[in-house]
Amino acid sequence: MGLIQRAVEAAGIATISISLSREISQKVLPPRAVYPGFPLGHPIAFPGETFRQKQVLRLLLKYLKKIDSPGTIAELDLTESDDHSVIRDISAFN
Amino acid sequence: MKERNNKIDFREKKDQLIAKLLSKYPSLFRKWVHHSKFIEFSDSPWTQFDSDISKCRLALVTTGGVHLMSQKPFNMKDPAGDPTFREIPVDTLPADLTITHNYYDHADADKDVNIVFPIERVKELKQSGEIGDVNYRHFSFMGHIMHHHIKTLMKETAPQVAAALKSDKVNIVILTPA
Repeated sequence: MGLIQRAVEAAGIATISISLSREISQKVLPPRAVYPGFPLGHPIAFPGETFRQKQVLRLLLKYLKKIDSPGTIAELDLTESDDHSVIRDISAFN
Repeated sequence: MKERNNKIDFREKKDQLIAKLLSKYPSLFRKWVHHSKFIEFSDSPWTQFDSDISKCRLALVTTGGVHLMSQKPFNMKDPAGDPTFREIPVDTLPADLTITHNYYDHADADKDVNIVFPIERVKELKQSGEIGDVNYRHFSFMGHIMHHHIKTLMKETAPQVAAALKSDKVNIVILTPA
């Protein structure tokens, strides 16, 4: 996804992305990214969490303005203690 | 032919199982990333941003494999992936969307597509005046793109999407992987 972000930014549009892997982002170097600590498949939090989803978007907009150096990955921990039970539930394998 | 189809079915099932494990166990995902190869860059392109966000037009780009049910699904039969994209109109209802992507567990995104493609949330940000406008179209890729398809993505499909967003006078693009 970083490759697409780089193409859009190179076309003259300011971009920001969610990173789900610090290691990938450190290699691909998207212009601006936020690493929220969410697991794979959950860039904008969890199902039904409309307020939290919107807050993640507000944070992205905040960091769009705040990041002033190309290739910055803002590392935030937006997770809560019960988040992972959502995907660690055995029903994921049904 | 039947044997070949069986092989493809087996590989697709294997991809889906690996995706579930990587989604369920973040530490396993980190190990997988560590042993995978990615294109590396030493710098980033940059477009200065100092606009008033409440006056900006925003578009979404996802690599979560989201598409309209009426559109052609992404190709899951090619092990190297699919570098094509789908255009999603802004007035699309979540019920009209589906996900074709065997390389992450989208069980949660199937319940609420906004977790990978937050189309309803950005419309709410427009309603509350936090952003100026939501573009009339958005774009979706399927993030498993390898080998020769990377060149197609970099030389053709990603620049096509970038040019489309530029011609739409979009000021902000939010990108979501999956």
